[in-house]
Amino acid sequence: MAATSNYMASTSFSMLRWNNNNKQLKKRNFLVSAQQPQVEEEEEVVEQREENTKQAPAMTPLRPVEKQVNVQSKNMGREYGSQWLSSTTRHVRIFAAYIDPETCEFDQTQTDKLTLILDPTDEFVWTDETCNKVYSIFQELIDHYEGAPLTEYTLRLIGSDIEHYIRKLLYEGEIQYNMDARVLNFSMGKPRVGFNYNGQMQDVK
Amino acid sequence: MQVQGPLSAWLVKHGIIHRSLGFDYRGIETLQIKPEDWDSIAVILYVYGYNYLRSQCAYDVAPGGLLASVYHLTRIEYGVDQPEEVCIKVFASRRNPRIPSGFWVWKSVDFQERESYDMLGISYDNHPRLKCILMPESWIGWPLRKDYIAPNFYEIQYAH
Repeated sequence: MAATSNYMASTSFSMLRWNNNNKQLKKRNFLVSAQQPQVEEEEEVVEQREENTKQAPAMTPLRPVEKQVNVQSKNMGREYGSQWLSSTTRHVRIFAAYIDPETCEFDQTQTDKLTLILDPTDEFVWTDETCNKVYSIFQELIDHYEGAPLTEYTLRLIGSDIEHYIRKLLYEGEIQYNMDARVLNFSMGKPRVGFNYNGQMQDVK
Repeated sequence: MQVQGPLSAWLVKHGIIHRSLGFDYRGIETLQIKPEDWDSIAVILYVYGYNYLRSQCAYDVAPGGLLASVYHLTRIEYGVDQPEEVCIKVFASRRNPRIPSGFWVWKSVDFQERESYDMLGISYDNHPRLKCILMPESWIGWPLRKDYIAPNFYEIQYAH
């Protein structure tokens, strides 16, 4: 038994993976999703279609907004209603604004768009496919909440649903904790031995 | 047979409608007032001598029942060891919970009525600025009511 204890125990846990590529840039995962300008009442959240991406089976198609040039940071002055709507948790940040992906300029006057910033602290290891799954859930939720008043309460409900979905992905093994993260505290549950674990540990490659 | 305190006897003598709820565990007299009469009775009590509102709180009596707004009054004067105290409960119906505000009689009830409004939904008439004081403005629902169900927010349940 003393010999086996030298193995890296993390290989039998499906939730951990050592991230070997050194990322020079902090890659932020952004999705800006637009809504239709036609409104009946001012508080309603209505959608606009811009089909740019392929559809995966049983996934809602993503409808990202085209990138805008010359975005300036604009604050919400009193003439715009002084609303600064956001919902922030550790992995999900939703803002009712247009945020430029490269320059990170905030344009808060465009409240018909919702921007999702996914896991800015890189607690998990994300691939394009898993990112797109979360984006499609985001899109589904926006469509589901269409017609609800645009308040922080609804944004918090949306953010909370996305967090539940990320937790579900984690428990199914589709995303893993990033062991190179600056803060490693397993906020969605400590790694556990899998259900089908039969006592044989794999060799470390 | 309800036990009647001195204040209750005085109010009966002057013909004011109220119901005496006996004494609580510290010996403080408790009275129940209807919301329609609360305006005038507040002024009467102030004139009688109760010039200090110790606290105002509110609670939900039963799910589907009434909402209670409680005013705890006492008299501030010099040289008195045990000031007289009285506790007034105003019961409002759940469907239309409106109670006249005590702001114009005792100023300190301002924030406390705002908190009762925010948590239980009791709206106070003639209150100068009745808006949410604890919850965010866009919150839906009255959190401290007994039939309030909090939505399934992730951060309440799972965040470490």
